[in-house]
Amino acid sequence: MRNISRKEFLKVGAALPLAMNSLSLSAKGKEKSSPRRIIFINNSLGFYAPYFFPKKREDLSTSDYLKGMKTKEKMTVFQNFFHPGMETSNHDSEKSFLTGTPNPESSNFVNGTSLDQLLAKEMGKDTRFPFLNFSIYDRGWGCSWNDRGSAIPPMHDEEKIFEMLFEEEDLRSKKQQLENDQNILNCLRRDLQQLRNQGSDPGKLDNYKALIGEFESRLHHEKFWLEAKKPKVEKSLSEDKQFEFSTKVRNLFELAKLAFQTDSTRVITFSMDWIYGAIKVPGATGGWHTLSHHGGRKNVIAQLSQIEIDTLKHFNNFLFELEQIKEGNGTLLDHTTVVMGSNFGDSSNHTCNNLPMIVAGGGYQHEAHKVMQKPTPLCNLYLELLHKHNMDIGNFGSSERDMDLLKG
Amino acid sequence: MNLFLTLRRRVILYLITISGLSVSFLSDSQSKVTLLEEESIGLLEQYCLDCHDEETKKGNFDLSDLLDEEGHDGSLIFENLITGRMPPADKKQPSSTQRRTLLDWLSKRQNSKAINSYQRISRHEFVHSLNDLLGVKLDLTGNIPEDRGTHDFDSDRKILLTKEMLSSYFSAADEMLEFALPEKGFPQERIWVTNKIKDSHDTYNIYTRNYQEGLLFSWTRANNGNNYSFFYDNFDPPVKGWYELTFDAKKLGNFEEDISVLVFSGKYYFADDRPQPQRLLDVISLSNKEVKSHTIRAFLHPGENVSVHCYSKHTFRKKKADQGAYIKQLKARGPLVDDWPPRTYQKIFKGLDMNFPPRKSIKTSILQTKLKAIGGSLSVSSYQVGMEKEKMQDGSNRTFWHSQFSPTVAKAPHFVVLKNPAKKEINGLSYSKWSGGNGNGQVKSYSIYLSDDAQSWGDPILKGKVDITRSYEQPILFPKKTKKEYIKFLVTDAVSLDGKSIASIGKLDVITSLPQAISTSEISLLSRSKKDLKKVIRHFAERAFSSDISEEELSPYYNVSLNSFKELEDFVIAARAGFKAIICSHRFLLAPGEHSNKSYKIASDLSRVLWLSVPDQELLNLSRMEKFTTQTLTEQINRMLKDEKSLRMIHSFCSQWLNLRSFNKVNPSLKLYPNYNDLLNHYLPIETEKYLNHLIQENLPISYLIDSDFSFLNQRLAQHYGIAGIIGQKMRKVSFSPEAPRGGLLTMGSVLKVTADGFDTSPILRGAWVSKNIAGNTLSPPPENITAIEPEHGQATTLREQIEQHKEKKTCYACHKSIDPYGFALENFDATGQWRTKYRVKKPHNGTFQFRLEGYYHLGGEVDASGEIATHKFNDVFGLKKILLSDHRKVAYNFTKKFFEYANGYKPDLKERLQLFKLIPENGKECRIKDLITKILIYSLREGEE
Repeated sequence: MRNISRKEFLKVGAALPLAMNSLSLSAKGKEKSSPRRIIFINNSLGFYAPYFFPKKREDLSTSDYLKGMKTKEKMTVFQNFFHPGMETSNHDSEKSFLTGTPNPESSNFVNGTSLDQLLAKEMGKDTRFPFLNFSIYDRGWGCSWNDRGSAIPPMHDEEKIFEMLFEEEDLRSKKQQLENDQNILNCLRRDLQQLRNQGSDPGKLDNYKALIGEFESRLHHEKFWLEAKKPKVEKSLSEDKQFEFSTKVRNLFELAKLAFQTDSTRVITFSMDWIYGAIKVPGATGGWHTLSHHGGRKNVIAQLSQIEIDTLKHFNNFLFELEQIKEGNGTLLDHTTVVMGSNFGDSSNHTCNNLPMIVAGGGYQHEAHKVMQKPTPLCNLYLELLHKHNMDIGNFGSSERDMDLLKG
Repeated sequence: MNLFLTLRRRVILYLITISGLSVSFLSDSQSKVTLLEEESIGLLEQYCLDCHDEETKKGNFDLSDLLDEEGHDGSLIFENLITGRMPPADKKQPSSTQRRTLLDWLSKRQNSKAINSYQRISRHEFVHSLNDLLGVKLDLTGNIPEDRGTHDFDSDRKILLTKEMLSSYFSAADEMLEFALPEKGFPQERIWVTNKIKDSHDTYNIYTRNYQEGLLFSWTRANNGNNYSFFYDNFDPPVKGWYELTFDAKKLGNFEEDISVLVFSGKYYFADDRPQPQRLLDVISLSNKEVKSHTIRAFLHPGENVSVHCYSKHTFRKKKADQGAYIKQLKARGPLVDDWPPRTYQKIFKGLDMNFPPRKSIKTSILQTKLKAIGGSLSVSSYQVGMEKEKMQDGSNRTFWHSQFSPTVAKAPHFVVLKNPAKKEINGLSYSKWSGGNGNGQVKSYSIYLSDDAQSWGDPILKGKVDITRSYEQPILFPKKTKKEYIKFLVTDAVSLDGKSIASIGKLDVITSLPQAISTSEISLLSRSKKDLKKVIRHFAERAFSSDISEEELSPYYNVSLNSFKELEDFVIAARAGFKAIICSHRFLLAPGEHSNKSYKIASDLSRVLWLSVPDQELLNLSRMEKFTTQTLTEQINRMLKDEKSLRMIHSFCSQWLNLRSFNKVNPSLKLYPNYNDLLNHYLPIETEKYLNHLIQENLPISYLIDSDFSFLNQRLAQHYGIAGIIGQKMRKVSFSPEAPRGGLLTMGSVLKVTADGFDTSPILRGAWVSKNIAGNTLSPPPENITAIEPEHGQATTLREQIEQHKEKKTCYACHKSIDPYGFALENFDATGQWRTKYRVKKPHNGTFQFRLEGYYHLGGEVDASGEIATHKFNDVFGLKKILLSDHRKVAYNFTKKFFEYANGYKPDLKERLQLFKLIPENGKECRIKDLITKILIYSLREGEE
């Protein structure tokens, strides 16, 4: 029933991006609102706190790193957030950045579902890609963890991401393939039932059955979107090889922007994983990780800050470009909640207190700089973001309460 | 005394709590347990509580606390006891029986952890299994995401199969089935012969130039240290597949060593200092006798080109010296198909009638430009003798077309007209300037005209400029595609040194997106019988599932195939549908699968561990007859290890156990280690794998992991290790002199590199690696809120001091005394694994970094590689090896635990560890690696039976 109406809608030839959203809205009334998006960025080695946080309260121009931000009036820097239970987590705390699950270092650790995945369940229904997750290298895990706490391997190859988002594929064979896959799923279901009757390990069968179910709904989703053409955009990826790391960060931000702009997805995570070995940015070459253990030495901090400045430069551009794109009665930035932060508060000591956190855009009334009275679970903010995106959830991770930090 | 009593009371209380939970179990053996526990607590009092009571808490370790804590499994105490780390050497020692008693007690009181009783197969196992099932060799591992997460071993049972993995298995299955059983047949085989490279910029002539009948590559390394590689022109792999690349080449130069040519493949693009290249296919090693054929096999994709890189310190920046690698020509042949009809068909459709027309192939292949391919030709306004229009179409920009200048100078306009008689769709032109000369006549700007009759040209459709400094292929794309018969390239401006109007072009061709028609040879199955189709599915399923399987069980799989057959009436396509269902099923992806008897399960486990694949026919036959006695198992393991497929296990185990999978994540600094290069990087891990394989094949004692007097080296590795007289890049067994600090895993470049960050070495990181992977110390996690210490360039003395501070902090020292010393002993090896006595301190460079052989460093402080492990002092790595060798059981025990975990996907629990320890012979000379592997496998396979 629902499927038919979607198809009908498409046949009329309406702009696809807003297909479902406008459809349901137009049923309710005439009001037109732009879809809401959200992106989470984890800079896994954090930011050097003295340069990051404003020296004077509530004045972003007193932050060495942030004084050059072009969208200052649309962002809030939060100070004094932390994830409880990360005292000895070291780099493993990265795994819990978007889940808040404590003790990720323990050998029996099972992660929780990450925030983006909860949001994607609702926000991802109406776009070709329910969510996207990026990472800057092929490590197999990033910010996104599925509802069984398994890492969802992120994409890292810019060309492949671009191709997936914007280039047409051979539809006929794809259709045939979807049909074949559906037949195969039916076959596997029958076999599972057979084995269940024979008394095979039920845990194993259940697990697999759940996977098949998930895979099947993906097939349905794909089948639906097969009918629609992909948006066309100019390829604006940089091919600069001099600063490969920098190019990668820039390009992934660019792809995030394009994906939001074309409404290809509404939920993105971007993991700036700690890269092993040396990287090169304008003004510095060195082991990012080695540099991050600066131990307060000035020359090392000088090098490290070049990397952090470079990352924030791309972040700044990303926000600015979102702000330049008009949409409805605001800008794309107004309709996109941008959350940028880190699992580390102090990378030199690998500690996870006083996490650097920025929330930008999203149409909130921003307050430049907000310092929590006492160390506050980051999950309080996460819970609030869930509520802000109409997710009726009482608790998330280590959350205590929705503190209503973002007005409007 | 009071404390002891408290402890005893606590322990007893604890045990009572436990026994209360399972009264029925304890009812008959309760008295025994009580006796054992009484005795054990007595032993703890006697040997441990002096230091580890509530007051002294040595090493921040309080026994009473730990035993009190519910759920604490005592494995730390167990490990320290079994490896003899505790009690310390200078304290009174329990007898071996007493030790056993304690170990026994600890293992019995451990709550057996609930682990998933099943594993998923890893992406590597998936790809290897499919290759073996289909009889092909296609490496798709890169297309499937890594799902190991932060676990050491791919097999870890905590890793669950995810939707994302399942969906990549669905698409990988499609790709492999299409490759093995292509829907539209097998592409014809072709042969290409080329001695032209894609761009030959004037300034490149110092790296490579025309020489005799081919090309001389002197060195191909840019000023900034990046490797150039030069792409061969006129060979574009039309489809993905295996190709044979034959280089007719020899070395030029009077130095002794061979010169190496690194053969890469990748997408061609022009860049001045291209950070090269994409994929190393292989290395050819050239001596200077005579031109010889060197053949390699490579898997290539359309869109990729083959490139070569050549670098040697003997030829580097030796301008105009006739030295380097002379490559007369490259001959490429492919895509190769092993047999005709291909083995896949013979294997999968055994006994069925096939129709296979002879495979098409083009034996000779003439260079074809795109213009020729569409039946086009070109004409020019004028030409100079010797510089005719054909020179623009010969695949080289060292030869060129030039407008006439002698005896008279042709007047403008100068132009080229391209004729497109078949009216094919053309997207634009591809232009390259000619390389060499003084630039006279280089085109600067142009206009493009179109015409139906070569008479009326109308207005230009495009005006533009070309880059006169670069000699790469510059695409000139038309505003829109055209099918016009005539295209005119009019030169509107060109370089003129003498004021005369002239023009020249190195290469000119059309750009088309017309699919190249690839002629194929189709194989069809003649059978239309459902029975035959079912037979094919059954045969495949039995091998994939490693099981006998009933008709009823197979019926869902039959149905998938039969439905497809009904719909599309194509036997092969129908079979493919069934195969895909089998490959994507839980029976295949989750281990253990559903096996009809235990022998099948054993066969499946064995082949998964040793071959990363499915069982072969012999294993299946033995399973069917349920013939796995200890004797047959031993024989089979021996046979399987001898099989080449076991190299997959060697590779996989090295990458996981020794963490060699991270090997390529680090690039050593060109400033500190200018001699480090791609060639060395390629061979370092190969050394380790060859060595470990040798130890297993020859069943050598476990002590060889620590030390030996040989390794597997070639010219490049020998140079790195400072060993003279090894010529050529073929890997071979090489003996070390007694004073060489090599032999064993610890001193291999691969290990030494992976434990450093490319700049500096960190005794802590290296120490932790040795401690975890070789020595097998179990450590408690670091305490809270500590400041990490990491190395800094050249400040080695302060680093050591910093680390030495550990000694002053009790909490740090408890563990770090078992970590840091190993790292200190390896301080004589730099971040690339080369021997050093002094540290290198990086020097700044002025202006743009320019690569140079002497690097940018000065020598700093002396290396101090001394230290102390459990009261044993050592001066350097030789001393460390002696200490490690003093108790072979410790190294062997750690090895068995690692191999057990690799094979089973979980860490052995204490009961299993006790059993594993019993597998280790008392006599070090009899403690042999293949025996150990065999025993571990038999033990864990049998364990699974119960």
